[in-house]
Amino acid sequence: MRFGAFKGTASKPRKRARLPVAIALLLSLAVGWSVPAMAADTPSGPIPEATPEFLEQGREVYVKRCSFCHGLLGDGEGPAAEFLDPRPRDFTLGVFKFRTTDSGELPTNEDMFRTVSNGLPGTGMQAFDDGRIKNGLSEDERWAVIAYIKTFVPEFDDPEFDPYKKIISLPANRPASSEALIAKGREVFEHAKCWECHGKQGRGDGQKAFDRKDDWGFPIRIRNVTFPWKIKGGSQAEDIYMRFSTGINGTPMPSFVKALGEDERWALANFIESLQHQLTEHQVLKALKVDGELPEAADDPLWATAEAMDVRLAGQVIAAPRWQNPSIDLVTLRAIYNEQEITFLAVWDDPFKDVTHVAENELDPNELRVVGGYNTYVNPYDVAVRQLENFRDSVALQFPAKPPKGTAKPHFFRGSSSEPTNLWIWRADREAAGETAVEEATARGWKQEAKAQPEDQQQVSGQAVWGQGRWSVVMKRPLTTEDKADVQFIEGSFIPLAVNVWDGSNGEHGMMMSLSTWHFVTLEAPMSWTVYLYGVIAMLVAGALSLLFIWLAKRERKPQDEDDDEAEAEA
Amino acid sequence: MAKGAGKVTAKYRVNRFWSIILALVVIYAIVKWLIPAVSRWMTDLPFPLTVPGELIKIYMILAVVAMFLLVTFSQRNFDEFMYPVRKFLRAEYGWIPRAVVLTLISLLIGYIAYDAALPTKETPISLRIQHPSSNFPKKFEDLKNPMTDPPEAEVQAFIEQARENDVALIEQVAIDVERWLEENPDGHMLSFLPTAPVKKFLAELEGGEVSMAVAKAALVEKNLFEGRALYAMNCRACHGDSVSGDGPMADGFKLRPINFTDNGTIETIVEGYTFWRVMNGGPGLPVEATPWDSAMPEWKLSLTEEERWKIIAAEYDLAEKTPRIPEGH
Repeated sequence: MRFGAFKGTASKPRKRARLPVAIALLLSLAVGWSVPAMAADTPSGPIPEATPEFLEQGREVYVKRCSFCHGLLGDGEGPAAEFLDPRPRDFTLGVFKFRTTDSGELPTNEDMFRTVSNGLPGTGMQAFDDGRIKNGLSEDERWAVIAYIKTFVPEFDDPEFDPYKKIISLPANRPASSEALIAKGREVFEHAKCWECHGKQGRGDGQKAFDRKDDWGFPIRIRNVTFPWKIKGGSQAEDIYMRFSTGINGTPMPSFVKALGEDERWALANFIESLQHQLTEHQVLKALKVDGELPEAADDPLWATAEAMDVRLAGQVIAAPRWQNPSIDLVTLRAIYNEQEITFLAVWDDPFKDVTHVAENELDPNELRVVGGYNTYVNPYDVAVRQLENFRDSVALQFPAKPPKGTAKPHFFRGSSSEPTNLWIWRADREAAGETAVEEATARGWKQEAKAQPEDQQQVSGQAVWGQGRWSVVMKRPLTTEDKADVQFIEGSFIPLAVNVWDGSNGEHGMMMSLSTWHFVTLEAPMSWTVYLYGVIAMLVAGALSLLFIWLAKRERKPQDEDDDEAEAEA
Repeated sequence: MAKGAGKVTAKYRVNRFWSIILALVVIYAIVKWLIPAVSRWMTDLPFPLTVPGELIKIYMILAVVAMFLLVTFSQRNFDEFMYPVRKFLRAEYGWIPRAVVLTLISLLIGYIAYDAALPTKETPISLRIQHPSSNFPKKFEDLKNPMTDPPEAEVQAFIEQARENDVALIEQVAIDVERWLEENPDGHMLSFLPTAPVKKFLAELEGGEVSMAVAKAALVEKNLFEGRALYAMNCRACHGDSVSGDGPMADGFKLRPINFTDNGTIETIVEGYTFWRVMNGGPGLPVEATPWDSAMPEWKLSLTEEERWKIIAAEYDLAEKTPRIPEGH
């Protein structure tokens, strides 16, 4: 049927003219639909009038969707609040961080609309735009809840504090990002001393003191500006421009409106944007094969030749004590091997080097392991002691202890009694004390602590370096061992691999950690030369066929109507 | 060939060849982009449903076969189609284009063969069944959520408590509600919850005549409020504020937390199944559902039955979904 219809159309010249139009239409529809729905963080009109009905509608939305973090009174004391860092905002103080108004001023309605719509990446505040989140809030509901939130802040009714008189706009002239612009931005970064807090590489490691507090009395975490998914006010150059133009109220982040000109700020915004890390997408780490010695040090230039794999991590929330405020959410892995050994490099950003460990400050995991207790998450403000010189930084690579059968693997969180995992745990305090820094252990589920292997079966050696807010840890082991509880590295096979990381000054130890789910590492077997051969053969055959067709076409010109053979060949 | 026929051929010769090529391109565009775009528009999902690569191949083979039939349907069709090809092969468009195009085609074929022979390093595929039932205990099948359908005695007790203005609340929400009541001492304690069923119940309570149905609806609202609080404390980090599987932690898991607003998740299963999944988490899954990749905790180790049911009620409510009715009802 379809074929017939098509044929009919194609044989009628008059209808053919419509074909391009139809195609253009179809293509434009396809393009229109495949573009992700534009985030509706800009309202279609101003905030509706705050009638009692509208405020009551806003209150219902607030109680259902906001109160569990921000509290029924809007003071940031809801039941979930004490387990979150950054802490949910206390609206009643009238201090708002993300605005397009002068430092210290209130936000505009549109600023609040943007925050409710986009959320604040890297915090518990998520996007509520129903264009993005299926059952988020409609524009009307967002305005209603904003109108209600404004009732917590009496200053909004005072014309003296009218934020619309203090608007900061984007520069009219915003040249596109270029190397020259970025270089200029780098100079601004230097002379405006952004690095004093944010670090020379923007990793948030420049902070002078650990225990600085914001206006609400909560610890300040200086952002690592290289992670776009954690930049609260948005990761585009326009958003970044706004942050250092308006300052972030309630925090030490000042406004640079007076110190820097518009073009300097625009250049700086483009420089900061250029620092953003581009995540790799693959789940398989290809170990690079070398003939000679493996790199010993983390800064060996040979590492740059091995492929990097980014591993995203989450807080350990599988079993109590649960931890939802991990400070490390990315580890980048590389691996190199030769005939005898394999070595891994794990790199992650951590603004503080924690090399001491006070075992008696460790949390008793059983305290939170109760059915029907108040909560099984760790409170980051009083239960976890978050200070320097308390807990160590640490990283662990995890592999299945037994070769996987089919696709089956041990559970990614420490396996189980029947499916154990093999852990290589590197500890900063041991490294600093000059001891063997890596311990090989066997884990049989999270309910019991991983057990260190006997002294004579410890075969992993380690080396680490910390600098510019970044740990680089190298762990090396023979490819194969005699030990039955060890992972064995065989060329060509896919070996499941997971990562655990602890940031000591973030209170992390024991089950309070960041962890990844299973990825894979594979030892690339050297490529067979036949791969190239197939390509060359195919190319030659295609070339020969082309010549044959030319010959047939030429031959056919003289004796006419002999084309059945070509038809076959052409198909 | 007659002169007249030759003229007709000349008039349409370009169209015949290029219309076939164009038709193939259009079919490819439809399968590759239009179908996913339309699927997205139809399903309302935040991502398009792409056509699998193998299926695209099959569609394209069908299209090529159809085009072949069209071309060989009659001698005229075939001649029209072949006319520019033959001219091209005889170098009537110039020998440079011929050499360039044929070399490019040969190189392309060589590359395709090389690419196909190249050993691929893709994650070993493990198929996963989302709602496994091989180890689902029958006794959970008919469970009803007592939080959305409380028994009469509980509704009675709730009315009594409301009359005394002393409704029992779980510890997790009680602290915040008490603080709110200190600031808002007038009116009934339940007025912290400004939803229609509670308002209706409080109005009836004031009038003295309380109907069971209205009281039950208000009790369910209270349970939902508690369930939402427990969800925010326990589940939000992964499944997200809007139960969309997009919590602050979601990007850390390769197997992403379930998005309850998706069609085909919690609305296709009975409540008892949800309860069983919440209870046993990842470790309770059978092999076909790859338990080793699931971060879902065994909540029976942390939450009481009542807490689990409240959370489930809140999840269905937030997702605006209703559970499947057990068979035989």
